[in-house]
Amino acid sequence: MADIDAAASPRENTRFKDKKGETVISVSGLTPSAARYSRLFDVLVVAAVVTIFAGAIHLHVMLTVGDWDMYVDWKDRQYWPLVMPVSMIMFPAALQAIFWVNFRLPIGATVGATVLLIATWIGRYANWWIWTGFPFTEGVPSQALAGALLMDMTLIVLRNSLFTSIIGGFAFGFVFWPSNYSALAPFYLPVEHQGMVASLADMIGYTFPRSNMPEYLRIIERGTLRTFGSSVSWVSAAFAGFICIFMHQLWWRLGLFASQATFLKNSDVVKSFMGIKSSVAS
Amino acid sequence: MLLKLIKFAAVCVAFIAGVSHAAAHGERAQEPYLRTRTVQFYDVHFSKTDVKVNERFELTGKFRLMQDWPDAVTPPDIVFVSSISPGPTIARIETYLNGEPARQSFARLELGRDYEFRMVLEGRTPGSSHIHPSISIKGSGPLVGPGQWVNISGEAHSFAFPIKTMTGLQIEDLQTFGLVHAVGWHLAWLAVAAAWLSFWLARPLILPRWLVLQKGREDLLISLRDTGAGIIVSAIVLVMVFGGYVRASAEYPYNVPLQSGLNRVAPLPASPAYAEIKIISATYDVPGRSMRLATQITNKGSEPLSIGELTTANIRFLNQSLPVAMANVDPSYPTDLIARTGLKLSSDTPINPGETREVRVEATDAVWELERLVSFLTDVDSKFGGLLLLYAPNGERVIAEMGGPIVPVFTELE
Ligand SMILES: [Cu+2]
Repeated sequence: MADIDAAASPRENTRFKDKKGETVISVSGLTPSAARYSRLFDVLVVAAVVTIFAGAIHLHVMLTVGDWDMYVDWKDRQYWPLVMPVSMIMFPAALQAIFWVNFRLPIGATVGATVLLIATWIGRYANWWIWTGFPFTEGVPSQALAGALLMDMTLIVLRNSLFTSIIGGFAFGFVFWPSNYSALAPFYLPVEHQGMVASLADMIGYTFPRSNMPEYLRIIERGTLRTFGSSVSWVSAAFAGFICIFMHQLWWRLGLFASQATFLKNSDVVKSFMGIKSSVAS
Repeated sequence: MLLKLIKFAAVCVAFIAGVSHAAAHGERAQEPYLRTRTVQFYDVHFSKTDVKVNERFELTGKFRLMQDWPDAVTPPDIVFVSSISPGPTIARIETYLNGEPARQSFARLELGRDYEFRMVLEGRTPGSSHIHPSISIKGSGPLVGPGQWVNISGEAHSFAFPIKTMTGLQIEDLQTFGLVHAVGWHLAWLAVAAAWLSFWLARPLILPRWLVLQKGREDLLISLRDTGAGIIVSAIVLVMVFGGYVRASAEYPYNVPLQSGLNRVAPLPASPAYAEIKIISATYDVPGRSMRLATQITNKGSEPLSIGELTTANIRFLNQSLPVAMANVDPSYPTDLIARTGLKLSSDTPINPGETREVRVEATDAVWELERLVSFLTDVDSKFGGLLLLYAPNGERVIAEMGGPIVPVFTELE
C-alpha cells in the first residue's frame, strides 16, 4: 500500500488544474493520495453506472413500450409521442434525483438518456440485424436526449425538484415528438402500393415481415381524435408533457428512496452464525 | 469418464439433429381444435420452391372458414393475410385477398364461405426457409396453412428493394434509406450530451463532492458560470429541436401519417352444386391411428358426385382410385402432409342427384400422431372438423364442410 501511495503522490492533483477543483479537494478534507484514489473511484462509478443503467433502462423501456420503439411502422402520431416519453422519463428522473441531491451534479437525466440510446443501438445491431436479419430501417429507434438535456438544464438553472418537474418534466414529454420527427421524417414519405397510399414506414414493416405480428396488432392512430385532425401529434406531445410532470416528481422521489443507505442491526444469534462474537453479552 | 463424455455428446447430437429435423414454426404445437375447426386451406400452390435472391415467386390458394367455429376462438372479425417465414428471409411484394389489396387488415370475414389469397414474395436470405400462408385473426392469433421448404440461393448482400415515392424520389434500397439521416441526428444529440457530461465529469466527482456538500459548501460545487452554461445548452437544444422540426417539415412537405384502417372484401361466390354431409358417428382409434366416420351424404346437385378427398389441418387423405382427385394434388404441395394410405370408403360408386347414402369413411395414417392432431385426453370439447371434396364426372368440384363430436377409442378393437 505504501508503495502505491508513494507512486501516486508525485502526481497529486494534476488532474484538476483549475483552482475550483483544488478548492473542492481541499475543502473535502481528502489527503492528496486519498484524492487520487477518489478519482479512481469516480472512474469505477462511471463504469458501473453506464453498464448497470444501460441494461436497466433499456430493459424497462423495452418491457413497457418496446413495440413503439422497436418498429418504424409503430411510430405513429398519436400513441408513440405519448407512451415513449412517459416511460423514458422514469429512470432519468430517478438518476437526476440521486446525482443532484447527493452530489449536486445536474447530469442524471442526460446520463440516463445517453446510456439508453447506446444500449438500444447495441440491441438493434445484435438482435435485429445480426440475429434475425431485419434491416436497420425497420428497427430505427427514438431518442430522449433532447428532453433529458432540457431537464438537466432546468435543474441547474432553477435548482429545485418541483420546478424541474413542472418545466423540465413537461419539456421532456413535449419535445419528444419534434426532436424525433426531425430524425425520422424521411420514413413518412408517401408511396403508392397496390392502389393505396402507404408511408415508407408502413412499407418497411410490410416488406420485411414479422411472421407473428399481423398489421392489426399495431397500436397506432386509427383516427380516433375527432378534432385537431391534422395536428394529432402536437396534442399528444402536450399531453405527454403533462403526464411527464407527475412522472418526473414520482420517479424523483423513488430515486431518492431507492438510493438510501440503511443498516439493520444484527442480533447476537445472527452474529454468532457469522463467527462474530457478541459485543455486549457473553 | 471419456466414455461418459462421448455418450453425452452423442445424446446432444441426437437431440440437436431431432430438433433441426423439425425446424419449423411450432405449427404442430397449436391445439387440434384450432387447426381442424377454423380455417381449412386448399389449392395451396407455390409457384417456385427454388428461387434466387431478388427473384419473385407466388404463393396462392384458398381457404374455407368453418361454420362450426370453436367457442374458444375469436370469430374472424379482424383478419390479416400473412405469410409465415423464419424471420424476413423473404420480402413481401404484394398480397391480395379475393383480388383486394391486403397490406392492411380486413373486417368481418364470413363463416362458411371461401376466400382466395395471392402473395407475391421475393427471396431475400439465402438458405432453406419453411414458408406457410397464414390467416391471423385478432384475438386468436395466426392460423397457418401448409408449409413448404423454399430454397433461396445467391448472396445475401445482393438483395436490394428499390421503391419510388409519390414525390418522385427513387429510393435505391428500402433497407437503408433514411438511415444516415436518423443516425446523424442521434450522433448530434449524443455530441451535445457528451459535451454536457464532460463539462461535469472533468471536475472532482463523487467522494469530494459528497464530502463538500456534507460540509455545507454547495457554493463550491455549482456556480453562476454553470447556470450560464445551462442556459446556453438549453438554447442550443431548443434551436436543434424546433429548427430541426421546421427544416424537416420544409424538406418533406408531403409526408403522410402511418396508414391503418380495415378493408372490406366479399367472399367468393358460394358453390352452386351442393352436398350435405351428416355425421352419424365418428370415432378415432388411438392405437390404430385411424379416424372412422359413418356419414350420411345427400347429393342436392344435378350431377353424380364421387368422394375424392378428406382434408383437415392441411393434411390430405385422397381417394386413390379416383383419378380426378389425384390430379387435384399440386406437385408443389408438401408431401409430408399427404397421407400415404389415403382414404378408404365403404362404397365407391358416385352418389346420384337427390340420393342420400350412408358411407363409411376411414382415414388411417401415422400423420395424425406426427402432426399431433390427437389430443382427445386434453380437449374440453372432443369435436373434429374437415372438408370433404367431391367430384362430378365433368370435373366440377364440390367442397362440403363436415364435423361433429368424435369419440376416441383407447383400446384395441377385436
Ligand atoms: Cu414451418
